[in-house]
Amino acid sequence: MKTEQRQAVEELVYRSCLALDAKDYKAFLALCDEDFRYTISTYSPEIRKEMVWLDHDRKGMETLFTNLPRHNSDHSPLTRHATVYTVEEKGAGAEVVSALQVFKTDLDGGATELFAVGRFYDTVKFNGAGPKLARRVVRLDTRLLGYGYHIPF
Amino acid sequence: MAKTAAEWNAPPKFPASHYVDSRVYTDNALFEEEKEKIFRPSWIIACHESELPATYDYRLFTHPAGVPLIVIRGDDSKVRAFYNICPHRGNTILYDPSGNAKRMTCIFHQWSFDVRGNCVDISRGEQGYQERFRKEDAALREVKCEVAFGGFVWVNLTDDCVSLRDFMGGAMEILEPYMVQPMEVFHYHKARVRTNFKLWHDTNSEFYHDYLHYFNRITGMMQPGYFDRKYTGFPNGHATVGSMQIQYDKYEGSKERAVGWPGLARGGWYMVDLFPGMTYNLRTSVMRIDVSIPLGPNEVLIEFRGMGLKSDTAEERRQRVFDHNMIWGPFGRNLHEDLLGVHGQGRAMRRGTDSRWVIQGREENNTIHDEVGMRHYYAEWSRRMGRPAYDPYREGKAEPVRAAA
Repeated sequence: MKTEQRQAVEELVYRSCLALDAKDYKAFLALCDEDFRYTISTYSPEIRKEMVWLDHDRKGMETLFTNLPRHNSDHSPLTRHATVYTVEEKGAGAEVVSALQVFKTDLDGGATELFAVGRFYDTVKFNGAGPKLARRVVRLDTRLLGYGYHIPF
Repeated sequence: MAKTAAEWNAPPKFPASHYVDSRVYTDNALFEEEKEKIFRPSWIIACHESELPATYDYRLFTHPAGVPLIVIRGDDSKVRAFYNICPHRGNTILYDPSGNAKRMTCIFHQWSFDVRGNCVDISRGEQGYQERFRKEDAALREVKCEVAFGGFVWVNLTDDCVSLRDFMGGAMEILEPYMVQPMEVFHYHKARVRTNFKLWHDTNSEFYHDYLHYFNRITGMMQPGYFDRKYTGFPNGHATVGSMQIQYDKYEGSKERAVGWPGLARGGWYMVDLFPGMTYNLRTSVMRIDVSIPLGPNEVLIEFRGMGLKSDTAEERRQRVFDHNMIWGPFGRNLHEDLLGVHGQGRAMRRGTDSRWVIQGREENNTIHDEVGMRHYYAEWSRRMGRPAYDPYREGKAEPVRAAA
């Protein structure tokens, strides 16, 4: 993989974090392929089972983003910190593994706490206009999320 | 007109059964008393039998009274429960939240126990204890344990407790027809929230807070039949909520649920709120089970389980998981709103905030926005505690202003 391609993939991952941090859903979806699918999954050592906590295709993500403003939500902003670990070329795309930490900052006083850790497992397609997210699996290590959150990681 | 301090502190103008003193949510002494008088003698859900599919499978559970428990399936398939406390030096015996253990061995001094709670080995026992103390003297403490009401494993810490069925007092009859087919857990997560456990149960015991939920307003409150749903109270503080037909397709991006539940009418939704902090919530395609484990007067750990049927096809299960997650998952629309709601109550009701009363005064012929479910709960709470919830320290400051309705 060319250095420029790898840089473009890394920037795609980072831009996805910036877009969701800013609640700029249009910008996030612009980074996604038409066949995009998004999943949050984790493993429960308590029930010894794989669990899916969120699973949507692109249309489902669009609907989710449309509906969220109609709901009551925690307004504390999140900061997603990703570090791209590996980028492996695969056909006309790449498989990308990134570390993820999500921080939450209180609106009152600005205290920041670690909210969740996990990994992004992304499948990236190289289109003419640059790389796009075709698949994102957010694999969470953290399962205790307090009173939860409406916006995906 | 806004209130003065005296007006703020004066009892609400309701019968005493229609409000509670906020200290029942914040006072540490009351909380310690609740553990003894309410949680210890109550039957509590420890886990589901599907979490123990094989012989020697175990689950750990911290009982709301504070006691660490091991729930384990024996070689006779019977599920038993024991204190997860070594009788030797009080150490933890099992650490992982689940696993398989033919022998339960304390890592500290290697005392070992079988799945029936017998001590089977004391390291260098004879050399140290001679004939003064033998394996027979070192059994685990067993607690009452039954598998019932949908395959859930119920535990009770007291030796002389009422039977589980008597404890239910008929409250589960509304759901029993829908729990004929074996269920299994597909979702489990916990939420730790800075609020009192009763406030979570309150939220499960009233639907007036549907104003919090856009999803419920659109698919329920604005639809025919919503205001016909009724609360029914049962002995021992339990209550049920009757069904209606939820119009899932009214929520953008949602559609009528493709998978139903055996015997349940299309779009149906029943709830059973069990004293002191458990809820069965059968909503069309998924059953959710809540178990509250208080960590203090202002902190609760809530266990959430999502249940499907053991007979589910892969596609049916996928659909149930999807339906569950849309409203009840950690990123779901409704659960976050509910938890945010009780978090807000916890914030406003901490010690020293001068929160004074919580009103449960709505009377609507026991229908969905009537607050009778909460009133029924606090009547039982008062009976068990020997303290009226409206005046827990019998200070006489909260005498009823008129006869209770």
